[in-house]
Amino acid sequence: MKSIYNFKIIHISVIVIMFMTAFFGCERDDFQKLPERNWQLVWSDEFEGNAGQLPDPTKWTFDIGTGQDGWGNQELQSYTNNPENVSLDGEGNLVITAIQSGNSFTSARIKTQGLFSQQYGRFEARLKTPYGPGLWPAFWLLGDNIETVGWPQCGEIDIMELRGQEPHVIHGSIHGPGYSGGNPVSKGYTLINDRFDNDFNIFAIEWDEDKIDFFVNDFLYQRIENTDTPGEWVFDQPFFILLNVAVGGNYVGFPTSETPFPQRMVIDYVKVFKAAD
Amino acid sequence: MKANIFIRLSQHLAAGLLMVFFLGCEREIEDLELATYSSNPEVFIDGFSPGLNYAAFGGSVPTAFDVDNSVTWNNSAASMRFEVPNANDPRGSFAGGVFYSEFPRDLSGFNALTFWAKASQAATIGEIGFGNDLGENKYVVSISGLTLSTGWKKYIIPIPDPSRLTAERGMFWLAAGNIDGNGFTFWVDEVKFEKLGTIAHPKFAILNGEDQVETSFIGISKVISGLRSEFNMPTGVYQAISIAPAYFDFQSSDPSIATIDENGRITVTGGPGNTTIRAHVGDVEAEGSLTIQSIGEFENAPIPTHDPESVISIFSDHYENVPVDYYNGYWEPWQTTVSADFEVNGDHILHYLDFNFVGIQFANPTVDASSMTHLHLNIYLPNPLNDNAQFQVELVDFGADVAGAMTTTISVNEAQQWLTLELPLSGFSGLTSRSNLAQIIFVDVNGNIPSFYADNIYFFDDGGDPPPPPPPPDYIPTEPAPTPTHAPGNVISIYSDHYSNVPVDYFNGFWEPWQTTGSAEFDIDGDNILYYFDFNFVGIEFANPTVDATSMTHLHVHIYLPNPLSSNAQFQVELVDFGADVAGALATTITAGQSQQWISLSLPLDNFSGLTSRANLAQIIFVDVDGNIPSFFADNIYFYSN
Repeated sequence: MKSIYNFKIIHISVIVIMFMTAFFGCERDDFQKLPERNWQLVWSDEFEGNAGQLPDPTKWTFDIGTGQDGWGNQELQSYTNNPENVSLDGEGNLVITAIQSGNSFTSARIKTQGLFSQQYGRFEARLKTPYGPGLWPAFWLLGDNIETVGWPQCGEIDIMELRGQEPHVIHGSIHGPGYSGGNPVSKGYTLINDRFDNDFNIFAIEWDEDKIDFFVNDFLYQRIENTDTPGEWVFDQPFFILLNVAVGGNYVGFPTSETPFPQRMVIDYVKVFKAAD
Repeated sequence: MKANIFIRLSQHLAAGLLMVFFLGCEREIEDLELATYSSNPEVFIDGFSPGLNYAAFGGSVPTAFDVDNSVTWNNSAASMRFEVPNANDPRGSFAGGVFYSEFPRDLSGFNALTFWAKASQAATIGEIGFGNDLGENKYVVSISGLTLSTGWKKYIIPIPDPSRLTAERGMFWLAAGNIDGNGFTFWVDEVKFEKLGTIAHPKFAILNGEDQVETSFIGISKVISGLRSEFNMPTGVYQAISIAPAYFDFQSSDPSIATIDENGRITVTGGPGNTTIRAHVGDVEAEGSLTIQSIGEFENAPIPTHDPESVISIFSDHYENVPVDYYNGYWEPWQTTVSADFEVNGDHILHYLDFNFVGIQFANPTVDASSMTHLHLNIYLPNPLNDNAQFQVELVDFGADVAGAMTTTISVNEAQQWLTLELPLSGFSGLTSRSNLAQIIFVDVNGNIPSFYADNIYFFDDGGDPPPPPPPPDYIPTEPAPTPTHAPGNVISIYSDHYSNVPVDYFNGFWEPWQTTGSAEFDIDGDNILYYFDFNFVGIEFANPTVDATSMTHLHVHIYLPNPLSSNAQFQVELVDFGADVAGALATTITAGQSQQWISLSLPLDNFSGLTSRANLAQIIFVDVDGNIPSFFADNIYFYSN
């Protein structure tokens, strides 16, 4: 009961704060009293480099092709490692571009699998989303043991997902055994009178053995404690990072004839911290 | 009584609504003092905002608009109700009008007009927007064809560049017609200007986003076209809006060549030289550009030299023109061509833009061109050609209800200069009568002529003799040509009813510009024969495929000269080989006594001097060497070996 109680408290405070934001949006909320943490940078990519360059191969690897059943979600795109789909812009950003040609789509999905993973800490990215019906950008984590135990037993933490037909709403979710696919533990965060494709925003989680906190621009909008999941808590092991732009799929629906293409997710940086005491 | 009917309904606003606005956190007192005019965002919430007036459009039902207190959005006190009339309503044909502010408002702090709306049935509102001030409409904006459903829904019309609207009176306007003849009712509520962060990524275009190049002259003036604007809406899809040219900042890279004013009117002022017209809206660059290659002073079309007595003129400053119904029929639904005719130095020029086809009509009265031989016109393609163009001219006769077409190839290097076309009327295949001509139609066959100028469109009689067809009836052969006797196995036949013929591209190439020869076909007792008149030369082509006559020894032709010969004639035959690109000619003397009878010519191929190959023969050309064969009949044209 304690955890439910806590959840409600957070939930209510979020509503109050959003209410306040709507009417007094000029004042930054100082309602979020979180314990002071000393975060120490462990891993990062600022995406510095020449325009057209692929992301740093010591940090990122690619998923290529259409996966099984559209990466398990009936997604329409084929992932490539072509610079037209994924490359640095020469201005300190990585750009993942979803391209339409006729009825087919190409895009990119990069990951740190086999190169970097971490258990607990702060995972953060500053990025600008694509938009339009059927676009599905994501910044997310998968459990390192996916090869041995499979999904969803490995666990999945979606730090940011967005449906292009709702460019003002992102969702933070976790998937695990008994709460995966269309039934995760999840919550949305809505920008008031703004959109996530208008400018860069910072998406982050802070994760320890007790809980995962979800942030947009350092605003805590969701806390999931290890007693909140309807199934086993599988988040006590290292996870690796993924960034991708999907087109179509179960989560977002099909693109329409009105969906503008090409569409870009522009990522300024990805940073991973650990708690230093 | 076409004047607008004013319905004055202004009401005052609840003070509480103003409070919300003044509490907006970003505004500072200094900002408010800078504004000259009220920045009240509200148009119609539960009644008219202060200073708001309504004027119905002329031709609309003046009472179509009313305030409704029962059907409202969110159970508010009042909404705007519009009754669209049925077809044939004597009071008016549509619902529509303008809501304007008595005093200008400063709307520069907003970026959209929003409202809630629903209709009694799924319906389309023809035009709906703001910026119509019953005056200049300088900053008018609308969505065309806004679809409403039967449930309340919020609609957004973006402001292309809010910084323009510091003194705007046009708050809201709309026009709606019936659906398949049936009227309907729709409601609009909560009409106000807002600053939305949920509309994004505006796109603008001139010339529909294309980069165009055209040649022009000093004195030419036209309004830039293809202005487009679209915004990404909160659902992630783009909404197109129609916006006034004044939202665009137009620039000419060299104003000494051409200038462009705030309404998008381009005036060519200098040259020779080039300038490129571009535009932006706010800080967004518009797609598309127009590069004007000015050649300086206007170059007039060549002055026509035909004797006015032998001319029937449709459009020329050098002849008296017949009455013309129109120079552009704007034929629905496929025609895209618009007209932008102009006058330079007293010379009128037809100018067709967005050309696909266009018709000129002169049906009152129709034109009897039976004594004319040619259609003359000057055309000028101002855009460079990337590939050869096919310019087709069609003539339509309303009396016999027949039409004929002729196509002229315009090569790449013939663009951007005046061309003179003199099209023989006999070449318009299918035009069996020209005594009641009523239309000239121009067609862009390959779709690569975006625009052209035209001048000096007239029919003329070239004075050649004898007069054009029909052939003199007395001279038509009474007997068919003799039946050829060569064994079919030894023959490659071009034209004969006695052999099977190879594919022939044409029996008359109407070769520009010198050929005068017209042609027809006659049936003499079941035997088809060719007839060539106004003869100077004429070519037959069979290039698909070419003919390998290597094993042949002779060319055979039956000819019949119907006109009496006063002296011997030289009838020359040329053969052209497309493979080796060689040709050879052989002339035969026809004596005066041989006219008016069939003559069998058997011409040894080896005697065609210069014809070093005959493996790819493709053309036979007949030439009247001495100019004394006005016409002839031909039959049984074939190669044979003996």
